[in-house]
Amino acid sequence: MTGQEPPSNPRGDDGQNPPDTGMGMTAVSYLLGGMLVWGGIGWLVDHYVGTKGIFAGIGAVVGIAGGVYLIVRRLGA
Amino acid sequence: MIGQSTVLAAEFPPSVEDFYLPSILPWGAHDSYWFTKITLLVWVAVAAIIIFFLVSNRKPQLVPTKKQWLAESLYGFVRNNISIEMIGPRGVAFAPYLTTLFCFVLLMNFFSIVPLIQMSPNSHIAFPAILAVISYVMFLYVGMRHHGGFFKYMKAALIPPAPWFILPLLIPIEFFSTFLVRPFSLAVRLFANMFAGHMLLLVFTLGGFAMISANAWLAPVSLVSWLMTIALTGLEFLVICLQAYVFTVLTASYVQGAIADEH
Repeated sequence: MTGQEPPSNPRGDDGQNPPDTGMGMTAVSYLLGGMLVWGGIGWLVDHYVGTKGIFAGIGAVVGIAGGVYLIVRRLGA
Repeated sequence: MIGQSTVLAAEFPPSVEDFYLPSILPWGAHDSYWFTKITLLVWVAVAAIIIFFLVSNRKPQLVPTKKQWLAESLYGFVRNNISIEMIGPRGVAFAPYLTTLFCFVLLMNFFSIVPLIQMSPNSHIAFPAILAVISYVMFLYVGMRHHGGFFKYMKAALIPPAPWFILPLLIPIEFFSTFLVRPFSLAVRLFANMFAGHMLLLVFTLGGFAMISANAWLAPVSLVSWLMTIALTGLEFLVICLQAYVFTVLTASYVQGAIADEH
């Protein structure tokens, strides 16, 4: 039986930084989230203003930009 | 054989109805879901895990017995490779919950390939949903306790390090991806994998019966179809272990995100 004791420094660093695992999921959810949230808001604007999808398109692009910015700030170096 | 095959062939293609099994108590009722095979399996899983860990740790020995070794390996694996790996030194506190979660999901998933059971409670959205809600409430609570209150946690979770004029753009995205997508994707990922696995096995098994009863010349194709079922059961085993691991790792990752101080 190995590993009865928890390794004192499991990731080989000072144990303070968040680990890499789970970052991929976070990045994907930021991208999709950005597109869905601002695309959705744009779609609602379309719905009330009466346009046929211009705001949803703009919203999706803006949302993706926001998602990329968030990934860089939260997960980047 | 003929009678059975015509009965089974009548149900091809399989549908969502095949996931709603007849009631056990009252026996055979079709519109009562209070006590079915699913309910029974959940209780069997709970009882099996409790009894296994109680028995294997009743008289712990320095040189472990086989059962004790298995139980300690399971706990050691989750503690060292999931809790501490993901959360850091504070992860030891979450190891008991994560081990329980891992064993429970693994056993519930494993029911889907045990011969004669071949039905996982996790292929009903209710069970993964409740597990996801437990993990969700836990990481919210842990985050609030760590940051000292609801508003301080929301501030840490929702406000990224960015200039003020971009914040209105970013906060909805943060809210969406942290507090809405997480529990939803946790539940749906497990449910969909188990649902699709069961459906796949059903298609190949029942498809074999459908073909052989439609035309006797199709018997070799039926045989191939049943061989495929066996191969897919092997694939299903992989999915079972992977999904139990992924569910546990993501829960640990969310807890880590909740108690992280600064990125």
